[in-house]
Amino acid sequence: MATQSRRLPEPAGLLIDRSTPVSFSFEGSCYSGFAGDTIASALVANGVTTLSRSFKLHRPRGVLSMCGHDANSLVQIGPRPNALADKVLITDGMAARGQNYFGSLKSDKAALLGLLGRFMPAGFYYKAFHTPKILWPFWEKVIRRVAGLGEVDLSHHHEYYDKEYLFADVCVVGGGPAGMAAALKAAESGAEVVLVDDMDALGGSLNYARFDVKGEVAAKARAKFVAEVEAQPNIRVMTRTMCNGWFFDNWLPLVGDRRLHKLRAKALVVATGTIDQHVVFHNNDLPGVMMASAAQRLIRLYGVRPGTRAVVVTTNGDGYGAALDLLDAGVDVACVVDLRAEPATDERYEAVLQKAHIPIFSNSAVREAIPLPGNKGVRAVDVARVVGDGQLAAQSDRFECDLVAMAGGYNPFAALVYQAGGQLSYDEDAAMFGIAGLPEHLFAAGSVDGAFHLDAVNESGRIAGWAAAKDVGFEAGRKPAGRAKKGTAEQNIAWPMFPHPKAKEFIDFDEDLQIKDIVNTIAEGFDHIELQKRFSTVGMGPSQGRHSLLPSVRINARENGRNVDETGVTTQRSPISQITISHLAGRIFDPVRVTPMHHRHLDLGARMMTAGVWMRPEYYGTPGNRADSILREVNSVRENVGVIDVSTLGSLVIQGPDAAEFLERVYTFAYKKQPLGRARYVLMTDQSGVITDDGVACRLHDDHFYVTATTSGADAVYRTMLWFNAQWRLKVNVINATASYAAVNIGGPNARKVMEKIDSDINLSSEAFPYMGVREGRLGDIPATIMRIGFVGELGYEIHVPSAQGEALWDALFEAGAEFGIMPFGIEAQRLLRLEKGHIIISQDTDGLTTPHEADMAWALSRKKPFFVGERSIDIQTARGLGRKLIGFELVDPQATVPLEAHLTLRGNEIVGRLTSVGRSPTLDKVIGLGYVAPDQAEVGTEFDIKVAHGEIVKGRVAKLPFYDPDGERQEL
Amino acid sequence: MSVSPTDSSARSFIYHELVALDATFEDIGGCAVAMTCGGTVAAETEQAASLGLCDLSALPRSGYKGWNSVPWVVKGGAKVEDAPNRAYAQEDGTLFARLAVGEVLILGPLNGKPGLIASLAKGWSMSAGEGAYPVPRQHTNCWYGVSGEHAAGMFAKICGVDLRPKRIENHAIVQTSIAKLNGIIVRDDLGRVPSYHLLSDSASAAYLWTCLLDAAEEFGGRPVGLSALRSLAGGKKR
Repeated sequence: MATQSRRLPEPAGLLIDRSTPVSFSFEGSCYSGFAGDTIASALVANGVTTLSRSFKLHRPRGVLSMCGHDANSLVQIGPRPNALADKVLITDGMAARGQNYFGSLKSDKAALLGLLGRFMPAGFYYKAFHTPKILWPFWEKVIRRVAGLGEVDLSHHHEYYDKEYLFADVCVVGGGPAGMAAALKAAESGAEVVLVDDMDALGGSLNYARFDVKGEVAAKARAKFVAEVEAQPNIRVMTRTMCNGWFFDNWLPLVGDRRLHKLRAKALVVATGTIDQHVVFHNNDLPGVMMASAAQRLIRLYGVRPGTRAVVVTTNGDGYGAALDLLDAGVDVACVVDLRAEPATDERYEAVLQKAHIPIFSNSAVREAIPLPGNKGVRAVDVARVVGDGQLAAQSDRFECDLVAMAGGYNPFAALVYQAGGQLSYDEDAAMFGIAGLPEHLFAAGSVDGAFHLDAVNESGRIAGWAAAKDVGFEAGRKPAGRAKKGTAEQNIAWPMFPHPKAKEFIDFDEDLQIKDIVNTIAEGFDHIELQKRFSTVGMGPSQGRHSLLPSVRINARENGRNVDETGVTTQRSPISQITISHLAGRIFDPVRVTPMHHRHLDLGARMMTAGVWMRPEYYGTPGNRADSILREVNSVRENVGVIDVSTLGSLVIQGPDAAEFLERVYTFAYKKQPLGRARYVLMTDQSGVITDDGVACRLHDDHFYVTATTSGADAVYRTMLWFNAQWRLKVNVINATASYAAVNIGGPNARKVMEKIDSDINLSSEAFPYMGVREGRLGDIPATIMRIGFVGELGYEIHVPSAQGEALWDALFEAGAEFGIMPFGIEAQRLLRLEKGHIIISQDTDGLTTPHEADMAWALSRKKPFFVGERSIDIQTARGLGRKLIGFELVDPQATVPLEAHLTLRGNEIVGRLTSVGRSPTLDKVIGLGYVAPDQAEVGTEFDIKVAHGEIVKGRVAKLPFYDPDGERQEL
Repeated sequence: MSVSPTDSSARSFIYHELVALDATFEDIGGCAVAMTCGGTVAAETEQAASLGLCDLSALPRSGYKGWNSVPWVVKGGAKVEDAPNRAYAQEDGTLFARLAVGEVLILGPLNGKPGLIASLAKGWSMSAGEGAYPVPRQHTNCWYGVSGEHAAGMFAKICGVDLRPKRIENHAIVQTSIAKLNGIIVRDDLGRVPSYHLLSDSASAAYLWTCLLDAAEEFGGRPVGLSALRSLAGGKKR
């Protein structure tokens, strides 16, 4: 095992616990680190600098940002792809490996692609691979093999992720000095504050940056802030949590370890800081070329020496702070390359200047990094004077080094501001984007809003916190002062990019895009910033433009002869950072409704199926004998007695003086004169005359109807009733009592005999209780409403009881029916039974256009009332003539291929409709069905074509409905 | 002596789940109610003060809806004020939860006595109660009691409304989505212990119970019986 040769002694390593060693492996080799180490920090401590291979050119890549801002550090950890090695903590036994290589990370066979780079400019795949067409299948296989990052393990079991709502007055995103100052100020006023930071600890730049020569200011400020935050009971701190987007009304997804927190904050303070920018030069992607802040993070947070000999490249004073940190960590600093013509002096610059053995080259830049063999690292850089924008003098000096620390300026990490509708604009003097406008209830603080000097950062945080608390309604006192100099214009230079004859000056590390790629994209005509993005893919990789946005926009502006502000930025969408599918998917709530008899169905061996959100028995039996089970159930009803659970049917209670009037309006039939104790069919049409639901209305009182609806339509029927009555204002009350009632349908020649065995106060005889009658009473001690209706076409009773007593009713029926061999039957048997009777099922035999005349249900339209919903539309459609008709059919040749539902019906070559219900009737021993044909094909006896699978045509014949017991004698027993 | 849920025709929507917990049952008003859920009353009382989930579905409840519903129940002896989304505790321990201007949900006391619920039902008829129509809450809704200091934290995993005691007053009503179900939550503290009534679709009772158990696990929440809630309520008529 390697020996952490680059580990620094204490006190370096704010985040690691040296008392807890951890062992892990990378690429099959074992390494050690400490608790608190990330994979990247532990690897660098062990001298491993290559973490992955780049997407297109398979170039070795190493640490770049050391804070999850880049995709260079994406690794695979067991079944988990695309983990950020600079953020994921090592654990004992962890096995990680690099991504995007063929062979091994060290010896990638696809590294040859790096030599073919000139043949793979941006957008080359639009022009290659598809001609000649015959080669596409070959290229497709190749592309699928090389595409993508990481591997998904499809056999990996789901782990538990969940979600949680959070509530706060003020959310502060960003736990650096500005964020902590804002949180404290807001909390002081009494606001409830949630302070969110994606790193392991609060502090932000205070954790790693050096603001002064002695390097003490940051640590002292951090300690003070953190102590105050921890002592403030109104602040809830959430570290290792990423605010991954902004949604309407300050709804924020906060992504934690295995939990997605959903926070709707009344006010939001964005203190997300800036993204360090790189300098663009030849080979600026080699392992060992990193942000200066990355080197500082390695030193301060993890106690790791980032290299042995460094060159610092800088556009601001922070590069000098990094140089001092490197020296303190025992790293030789070969030189400082300052791109500024006249570096602004601060004490850090002066301190480096005094170290006479470190030359400082102002108005200079790195021309190229000289690689180690195989591009596995840096061995030297060439430094030259800047003679113009992007132009270097011919002569350069070479400095040996294994580390290049870039402090190339900053870009505000303002994605949340952008998503919330804030405006950004580019300041040419500062060469930096800034916030130009904020929407209401959103405030910005710190370097995201252009404050770089620590005093200004703190002030801006206090002001933002004060403003947020005030916005939410807390008494926040006087507005804090804001006088400190921000230092915005001291960070960036306008053009830190230097083209090289050999290119490989990377703008976008994710997509291996170089300066020429952007220039060529624009030359090809994709000059708008959004087109440039989509053609070249700049900014579309995992780091989402964090490092490529600024250089690509600058190039675009120059090539188009515009300024950067006019050019603008591409739309920045959520998610801001990577999020696993598990976070989004878990814990999903997927409501399930079961009837009170559910356990009895399971006990009886029911095969359950979903019917919307309900679980219903499809049949009782095993998958291997499905057909036999259904046949047995159908025969049981036809010959003996069967019971089906129909509790899922909608139940609506309509009460009030205008109850009958209400029914007359919402349904097509007539109800005012419906006698008490009688049931009547209900058909509902919408305002366009289309059938939407059906059922039965039972009149229990002059002003009280109990109405059933279909299982899937119940809620919509209820909403429709409420919606209409909100306008009509009839004196009627509508209750959706669907779940209140358990219901069964007992049918078959022995149904009455079974019922009569149960103690009841209801006379079940045919004379006392005729077909379509309704009775209220009791069965045993269970109050019941019983209807004689005949969906399945046999003597039957539909029994509705309070749902808490449904199971007891089922038990009573089975006890009473035991001597008759009573059987349960499921949905499939019921579908066949009702088909034999020619009864339609709404939404199976009707669709979004079916009108009553098409469905042969004109008998259900009452013309003796002034109005019902859909009446006018039905009249208009009728006057226009029908386009199709629903008919019953049988097969001309009983031996022909049995068609399926949705198979087409034809008239010659013309498609005129489709089949809606098909089944083999055991009672009639033939295939029967329902379907749509042309009106001139609808006469009984007419033959028509049905197109079945593989284009085969079978003949159907229109049959008279109902197929079974046409006179209804059996159901009226 | 413990009764069996199947001794009577009226059964809790989740009695199968409660039997699996070794619950002990008592007949209250013709339905078996789980008095303990596998533990002692003392242990479950302590549990309920931390986070307890109790099935109250067998206890009496009802409702009235219509343009005259509130005046009608007031005429029948209830004390209900104008503000909606507030619950009003009665002397007999019944809770009248005013869901809207024209609707009231009535939750019976923990002692199981129907009290005002029964007297209102007895006095109702189509003619006498015009504009005030009974809502079959006994069967439309399941009813769970969620109690304890961690109750609001548990709810935050399934409900987007802030139910922390500092944000929602005692006897406030929240009508919202809970685990993707329509639900009614009424805060009704048991002594000093924050406590909530949760009512939702009875057909989804088993689904909701599993969601509650899942959300409660993080906080060490467990099912408790009615005895625990009565114990927390102490002398107070709830």
